Amino acid sequence: MQVKQIAEALWEIAPSEKPGMLVPARIYGTPEILQSMDGGVFEQVTNVACLPGIRRYALCMPDGHWGYGFPIGGVAAFDARSGVISPGGVGYDINCGMRLIRTDLTLDEVQPRLERLMTELFRRIPAGVGAGGFVKLDRSALEQVMVTGSRWCVEQGFGWHRDVERIEAGGCLAGADPEKVSDHAVSRGIHQLGTLGSGNHYLEVQVVSNDRMFDPHAAAVMGITGHDQVVVMIHCGSRGFGHQVASDYLTVFEKAMRRYGIAVNDQQLACAPFSSPEGQDYFAAMNCAANMAFANRQVIMHQVREAFATVFGRSAEALGMELVYDVAHNIAKVERYPEGELVVHRKGATRALGPGSPDVPSCYREIGQPVICGGSMETGSYLLVGTDAAMRETFGSTMHGSGRTMSRAQAKKSVRGDRLQQQMQQRGILVKAVSMSGLAEEAGLAYKNISDVVESVDRAGITKKVAELRPIGNIKG
Amino acid sequence: MAFSYRLLDDVALADLAFEVAGDSFPDVVQGATDALIETMADPVTVGATWSQSIHLEVTDPADLLFRWLSELVYWKDAASVVFSRAVLDLREERGVWKLDATLVGAPVDRIAQVLRADVKGVTKHLYDVKGDGGRWTARVVVDV
Repeated sequence: MQVKQIAEALWEIAPSEKPGMLVPARIYGTPEILQSMDGGVFEQVTNVACLPGIRRYALCMPDGHWGYGFPIGGVAAFDARSGVISPGGVGYDINCGMRLIRTDLTLDEVQPRLERLMTELFRRIPAGVGAGGFVKLDRSALEQVMVTGSRWCVEQGFGWHRDVERIEAGGCLAGADPEKVSDHAVSRGIHQLGTLGSGNHYLEVQVVSNDRMFDPHAAAVMGITGHDQVVVMIHCGSRGFGHQVASDYLTVFEKAMRRYGIAVNDQQLACAPFSSPEGQDYFAAMNCAANMAFANRQVIMHQVREAFATVFGRSAEALGMELVYDVAHNIAKVERYPEGELVVHRKGATRALGPGSPDVPSCYREIGQPVICGGSMETGSYLLVGTDAAMRETFGSTMHGSGRTMSRAQAKKSVRGDRLQQQMQQRGILVKAVSMSGLAEEAGLAYKNISDVVESVDRAGITKKVAELRPIGNIKG
Repeated sequence: MAFSYRLLDDVALADLAFEVAGDSFPDVVQGATDALIETMADPVTVGATWSQSIHLEVTDPADLLFRWLSELVYWKDAASVVFSRAVLDLREERGVWKLDATLVGAPVDRIAQVLRADVKGVTKHLYDVKGDGGRWTARVVVDV
């Protein structure tokens, strides 16, 4: 398969390279990043380019790696009238996403109480296998969560009214219909609101230093001031609830494809016309799971504020714990582009709207939408902003994280969880983990260097760096 | 009964995969069950204070294994438990595979149990169940 460089950090695979490709495949990344990508990315992004109704390109971001059906880092847009929707283009963890909270605290103030803070966060925020949340829901309440997302949480006192203004789509996607969600999904999700999960999900206390600020103006607009300011990042999604929705509809779509005469190169690319009853049912159920994920991160943020207030003896308001932004990176949304209404799938990819977009909160419209990218727990994370170039080239999308280069099994063979925990503590990163094997799986050596990945999107112009966030405390499932 | 299973290193970067081999289809189902149980928690550290009976009837062996493993993932979340063992009675009657299973475990306890990965779904990626006389194999990728 010939991969041709067409710009400094952009590569293209022509439709002639695989039978059935309807559009070119495009991969973002520096030459070094491209070389580090696993072969599955090239196979999978070209499979996506074969799906009915795809427009312009099948895209993969520089943090791309092998996924189910679509690669992680995959972006594809389908005509809303003639194209498809695919659970494989959203991912199992519907609305997995990132949330960033600022504080007025500095490293000097937090360091002496870091152990107590991390213990308090670990106590308040359930993580790992089978952990249930402190919010007890009945089915009726869960259905309200499915329909209203973060807004339900704020009404219950888990957050501030102004929080929802700084969440993608106001923390509540329209078109959610609980009747399209199975009883199995409800049973799995009913205990899980306010839980972190496991895998690559985490809660991290981070520091922003002056020497790692790249756009002080944009940072200031977001309340990021540098001077060793402490911030908190949350990475999680819709837990077992979203996974069950995805599994249920993959089965539905496998049968529907035969009825609609759709053939795909990979069973995990199962899809249905967006306008079909099956497509609309999945979209309604997916929106329920997406709203549950917004609510999940909202409840976790509430617990973070409570933990900080307990440890520092001041209210969360007095500590300046404002939400910077919350953004999904596993989602399908109907968005308007010059071609018309498109169903934009982002799987391990973040929406990155440019300045002036009406869908960016008014407080950020001047600078563009905040983009939150989580790195490995050893290396750090980045805050970026969307650009006009992203609107033109990538359906307003960019990277979401580091991207793995090593399997979980290999990572566990390379490092022991307890040893890694000690090494990180020696480097000033305090880790609380439910599972030591899970910790080993998430070692920094299993990921690309996030700075190289960020450099790719910055050079390509589809997002611009604002600040680097360095970890000092991490909670893992 | 004879079966073995091993984790596959390079099949799923972000997730977990295992391959099971056995003398019969019931052996492979038992092996895959044990592999999935051990993926979630060390069963030696999990008690037996919770149990659930499950009955499945499926024509296609691959479908049966997929649905059964998905049941384990479902009950892990729905009952907030991890498992110590599963007792399986699997037989073929007139072309239909019938499974009567008892899933045994205990509520999640992060102090007493050695917890591992929170498996969230069984996938169809590279999913494969094959039988040839006295030799059956299965390959399963789970999303974590």
